[in-house]
Amino acid sequence: MNRRTLAALAVVLGIALIAIAIVYWVEPAKSLPSFFPGHQAGSTHHHTKHGIASFLVGLAAFAFAWFNTGPKKTRAASS
Amino acid sequence: MPISYFHAAILGLLQGVSELFPVSSLGHTVIIPKLLGWNIHQNAPYFLTFLVALHLATALVLLAFFWRDWVRIVKGIGRSLRDREIAPDDADAKLGWLLVVGTIPAGILGLTLQDKLRSLFASPQYASIFLALNALVLFGAELLRRRAPVTADDDDERIARTVGWRDTTLVGAAQALALIPGFSRSGASMGGGLLVGLSHKDAARFAFLLATPIIIAAAVLKLPDLAGSQGNGVRGPALVGALCSAVTAFLAVRFLMRYFETNTLLPFAIYCAAAGTAAAIYFAVS
Repeated sequence: MNRRTLAALAVVLGIALIAIAIVYWVEPAKSLPSFFPGHQAGSTHHHTKHGIASFLVGLAAFAFAWFNTGPKKTRAASS
Repeated sequence: MPISYFHAAILGLLQGVSELFPVSSLGHTVIIPKLLGWNIHQNAPYFLTFLVALHLATALVLLAFFWRDWVRIVKGIGRSLRDREIAPDDADAKLGWLLVVGTIPAGILGLTLQDKLRSLFASPQYASIFLALNALVLFGAELLRRRAPVTADDDDERIARTVGWRDTTLVGAAQALALIPGFSRSGASMGGGLLVGLSHKDAARFAFLLATPIIIAAAVLKLPDLAGSQGNGVRGPALVGALCSAVTAFLAVRFLMRYFETNTLLPFAIYCAAAGTAAAIYFAVS
């Protein structure tokens, strides 16, 4: 898989994870989709920490994409 | 008052040392009050809030101790983002991203498993057994460690050249072991560092750098509890405990960075095996 494809996948993943983070922050546990970790029928608890974890991994995915779409200066210079 | 000032000072002094020594601060915080017969409800929200203040103090001392390194690391990360690459000769940038990547698994596992694991295992009996098992982690790391092949004058450069992306992920994930009272965060990450080929001194340095953001983040997330109703009656003792913790944490990190220049994890492994076994037997028969 080439760098551009990996970067595109990382961007999609990053957007998805940040969207998931927002869902965690906005919706109480009872309203989360049933396949989400932390879903609990009848609970009004907000899973803030799950949201933070999802947001940070989303940022990491964006950082990965950022590096993979940058110019290959060092490698070009050394080859 | 849920925690007296005397108890807070003792727990603070203990926390500062045991957080950085590879002997499990959480395990000691669970075991010692029970051994001394202190009437502290260790699963109560106020006690967890009190512990947050101690952890925050320890982490701030670590941040201050390695302040120059952190400035270099943050500048390195900034350079790499600007240039959109981690230059092979930029050890600060590489180390910075190693810390970011290592913090991710520790953060995810901590955020999602912390409450469950602590509620399951926060009993003195479990903690003493896990403290004895922590000795196996330390022994194992010494037994299986790879010799440090990379030579460079600069500490951070040696770490950056030795540790790979997969290595830092594994070392970061190993920190999650510390969510179980009795297992040591610094022990797990130092052990991981030894396994990937770092020297004892570099493994300790990497472990302390890796621990700082995660401890600060965990403490900051819980800090509002200290200001809220869970902090009622605890704020004064928490402040005293935090100050005591800061003093011993500073002495501990200064001692350990010198100690690991020439020594190994074995004395800590022997201590954990002896203390954990003795405490487990005591709790079983008492």
